[in-house]
Amino acid sequence: MTGSLLLQSLVLGVLLGGLYALLAAGLTLYFGVMRVVMIAHSAFLILAAYLAWYFSQQTGLDPLLSLVFTVPLFFGVGVVMQRLLISRLRPATLTMMSVLLTFSVALVIEGTLGFLFGGTHRRIQLPYAGTSFEIFGANIALVKLIAFGLAAIALAGLYVLLKFTPLGQALRATIQHPEAAQLVGINTDRVAGYGFGLGLATAAIGGTALALDSTIYPSLHWHWIGPLMAIIVVGGLGSIPGAAIAAMALGLGQSLLQIPLGTTWAQTFFYLALFATLMLHPQGFFGDRLAQRF
Amino acid sequence: MRNDSSRTVVASSAAGWPRARVAKLTGLLALVVFVVAFPRMAADPFILSVGVIIMSYAVLATSWNFVGGFTGYISLGHASYSGLGGYATVLLILHTGVNPWLAMFLGGVIVALLAIPIGIASLRVRGASFVIVSIALVLILLLVFQSWGSFTGGSNGLRVPRPFGDEVLRPEQHERFFYLHAVLLAIAVLCWWLIDRSRFGTGLKAIREDEDKAQSLGVPTFAYKLVVFVISAFFTALGGGMYALWFGFLDPIFQFSILTGSYMVLMSLLGGIRNVFGPILGAVIVGYAMEFFKAQYGDTQIHLVALGVLLGIVVLFMPDGILPALRGLVIRFRPQATSIREVTQEELTRDATGSREESATDRGTGTKEEVSG
Amino acid sequence: MTTSKNFRIGALVAAAALTLSGCLSGSTGASGDDGEGPIQIGISLPLTGDFSEPGKGVQRGYEAWAAHVNQNGGLLGRQVELNILDDQSNADRVATDYEKLINQDGVDLVFGPFSTRLVVPAAQVAQDYGFLFVEPAGAAEEVFEQGFDNLFYAAPAIAEDHYNHLADEITALPPNQRPKTAAYAAMDDPFAQGTAYGLKNKLQDAGIRTVVDEVYPPNTTDFGSIAAKIADSRADIVVGGTQYQDAVNLIVALRQLGYQPDMAAFSTAPTNPEFPRAIGRQTEGILSPTGYTPEAKFPTNREFVEFYTERHGNEPNEDEANAWTTGQVVAAAVEAVGCANPDPECQQKLVDWLHNNEVDTVVGPLSWDKTGKPQGAHLIQQYVDGEIKIVLPDETKEADFIHPKPNW
Repeated sequence: MTGSLLLQSLVLGVLLGGLYALLAAGLTLYFGVMRVVMIAHSAFLILAAYLAWYFSQQTGLDPLLSLVFTVPLFFGVGVVMQRLLISRLRPATLTMMSVLLTFSVALVIEGTLGFLFGGTHRRIQLPYAGTSFEIFGANIALVKLIAFGLAAIALAGLYVLLKFTPLGQALRATIQHPEAAQLVGINTDRVAGYGFGLGLATAAIGGTALALDSTIYPSLHWHWIGPLMAIIVVGGLGSIPGAAIAAMALGLGQSLLQIPLGTTWAQTFFYLALFATLMLHPQGFFGDRLAQRF
Repeated sequence: MRNDSSRTVVASSAAGWPRARVAKLTGLLALVVFVVAFPRMAADPFILSVGVIIMSYAVLATSWNFVGGFTGYISLGHASYSGLGGYATVLLILHTGVNPWLAMFLGGVIVALLAIPIGIASLRVRGASFVIVSIALVLILLLVFQSWGSFTGGSNGLRVPRPFGDEVLRPEQHERFFYLHAVLLAIAVLCWWLIDRSRFGTGLKAIREDEDKAQSLGVPTFAYKLVVFVISAFFTALGGGMYALWFGFLDPIFQFSILTGSYMVLMSLLGGIRNVFGPILGAVIVGYAMEFFKAQYGDTQIHLVALGVLLGIVVLFMPDGILPALRGLVIRFRPQATSIREVTQEELTRDATGSREESATDRGTGTKEEVSG
Repeated sequence: MTTSKNFRIGALVAAAALTLSGCLSGSTGASGDDGEGPIQIGISLPLTGDFSEPGKGVQRGYEAWAAHVNQNGGLLGRQVELNILDDQSNADRVATDYEKLINQDGVDLVFGPFSTRLVVPAAQVAQDYGFLFVEPAGAAEEVFEQGFDNLFYAAPAIAEDHYNHLADEITALPPNQRPKTAAYAAMDDPFAQGTAYGLKNKLQDAGIRTVVDEVYPPNTTDFGSIAAKIADSRADIVVGGTQYQDAVNLIVALRQLGYQPDMAAFSTAPTNPEFPRAIGRQTEGILSPTGYTPEAKFPTNREFVEFYTERHGNEPNEDEANAWTTGQVVAAAVEAVGCANPDPECQQKLVDWLHNNEVDTVVGPLSWDKTGKPQGAHLIQQYVDGEIKIVLPDETKEADFIHPKPNW
């Protein structure tokens, strides 16, 4: 192994970690506001990727432009989904039943994509797909950098929104203590709907970023949901900074482990981290009381 | 509603109501007679093979229901245990040359032992982590069994040696495996029934209804959950091992598949997780529906959509399964109840107040408002 | 309440099961072995799910073959009817499908499904009922090590032999042009891995050092790290045991890292008509083995290409050709033996005939060893001036072999 391979892997790990961080942030947000494990998150990710692909296929424009309508669309779908589906579940069994409900949503999305577009692997043809530039002997592909930039901007936007806006404060209050939030006059139902919308909006951005540099197919979402769920447990369920940090750490770890172990075994890293976390520190490494109870 | 139904179980079994018992025994007898007669009635070996598959579903769904039904913990990854059971059985036969049936039993024991650390990791915290671990386990096992080719056969798959000699033709194999699955199912059902009547079962059901309350009443919740989880893994592994012996080929992609696990959940929920026969009913319905839809609508991806929609409907509108839903329908058409909505609302209110007693989640109120408004 | 509920459920289960067995047995024995009427051929193919694209190609090939046979007087004077079921790319389903075709639909013959992963369970069912099993797509060595005696692969070579002509060419190069190091990346799939490892074994024997040997799961979409390893090794040649999308991703990732090998060979993907569209102008010099080319001069091939092109408006690919070949092989046996019915005696005669005879097909004359393994090698194609052409072996080549390959 040479130094340049190590550096290259570090760079790839950071670029991958950025995308993981954005997606895991969305996944942990649902859990925070609703105690819902949203299995369909990665299915929406693939749906967004398909929309980006279809958009650029039909119009010939850059797939990034599809964000203009997928982000609002997904936000709306998220709000509607929370109001119409998730909130109908009995509170006593909410966590378990929401898993099944979102799982069934994932199946419907996968089946519909398969029905409409077939099982063929799709890839957006970009004129700049092979373009790259070199920094300190490491090659950085332009598409990967764009994807990373997109994820970083979205994550920063989410941070600002949560930290500095009234909605963000309401969301954080709901995550930390729903009853107290309600007592101080926050409409936690509405806030939970917005939280869901925001989570799905991250899937829209992540999916477009994913479509830039990867082939997509209907059942691809199973490949994403496992690592993402491992990340949010390691980061502490419901903790957005925890999810982002864990995503970066695990993404880097996977990328570096690929050098000695190969692709397949490196993937098990996520799951080993998940089991180790639950055995040693079940509330995750950045979680609070919330994670401990679930 | 759920609370008083579990109370009724205890009360009626203690009283020993003879007429109901006679009715129950007759029903059971009819079921047994049907199972025994089925291979004779099957018109050709294909129908018999579908019978074996449905029987296998019934075994798996009943095994799943040890965890799902008693504790209310939903495992989407029970394919892990059926897959491990299949592989353990076959690898034992290939490497040690033991008798296939002994290998199947040993495979079940091995998987049960493996389930202990997995259970400890996933049951220490509440449901969300349990679900996540159950899915993660399927994915990790798929990776391991695909990559570790020298031991598991990897992506080439593993051919399973026949437990019966060459002189036993395929149709007769189907028949024998149909009965073998039926015996396994009977044992699992018996075991479920015994737990259901025991103190252990009452403790488990207390966990299902309200884990915090159960804990404060002195139920050793963690130990109880772990024990029933290991039992469930054991039976699932036996089911997986027996299916592997019948099917004759193991491929990691199909052994460790999330869809297989989700079918177990759908069957149990559809039939009703609170009843010992619920998963069996669900297995028959889903197994038959799958054959039917495939024959009718053949080659589209719509079967996934159908599975998703069906699961969604069950979760949203009849989370207790078909029978309570049917009963609800009967109540609806009785003169004193004008609308199903009132009943639902009443139940919801009771649920919401019940759970608010100590682990109050304000979403209970939210749900109620949704319905009434 | 609960006790009587138990009873009702028990009764309901029994009733449901009764209805089930009643309904399922409704349509038994469609044709039977009456020896009159059309010959029913049962096939299960992955028309949905992961293998659906090649599965549909095989379906087109089978249907074209059946139409062609029927236009020309049928088989043994009887028309041919295909009964195609969808196995949803699932091994459990494929076995059930053949069980249904043989027992309930009463087919006279069966043809094989697509994908190595589905061939073994399907062949088992066919074997148990004594059926001849000619298949278009189970190319991995392991398929032939399972002890099936009814199985025949209807293509020139198994996966491990696909690159034989290329291996010969490389080892025959003058020492100063010969590559010294090689990097291999293969999908964890019996077929894809088989092709790459077949070449790897031969090159290693010839003293070409393996510097990277990567296996990735079939669902991999991020090839950054694998490409980084290959680029870092600066291997002289890169070999991909690929299917389609993975080859595209790997090539793009290699280009992103600025890696320029002297030779690049990928299985399956480059022969796909989508490939040049996905890669663009950078296909030049990429190598690929193929079992079939529409330009081949074998006697029946022109007929096949014309008939197929007329039906579909484009030339057939390898999947369609393998399906057609399967039809040809079974037809040859049926015509020679003079029977086509599910009777084990007839099926055994068909099996025996194929073990002892050679069949002329669109992919050339085929013969099999006792495990059903065909005894040939694949042609090697290369992108020359933007078009894929046969370059090896010399006797069938359409263009000269380019070495080293231009930059991508």
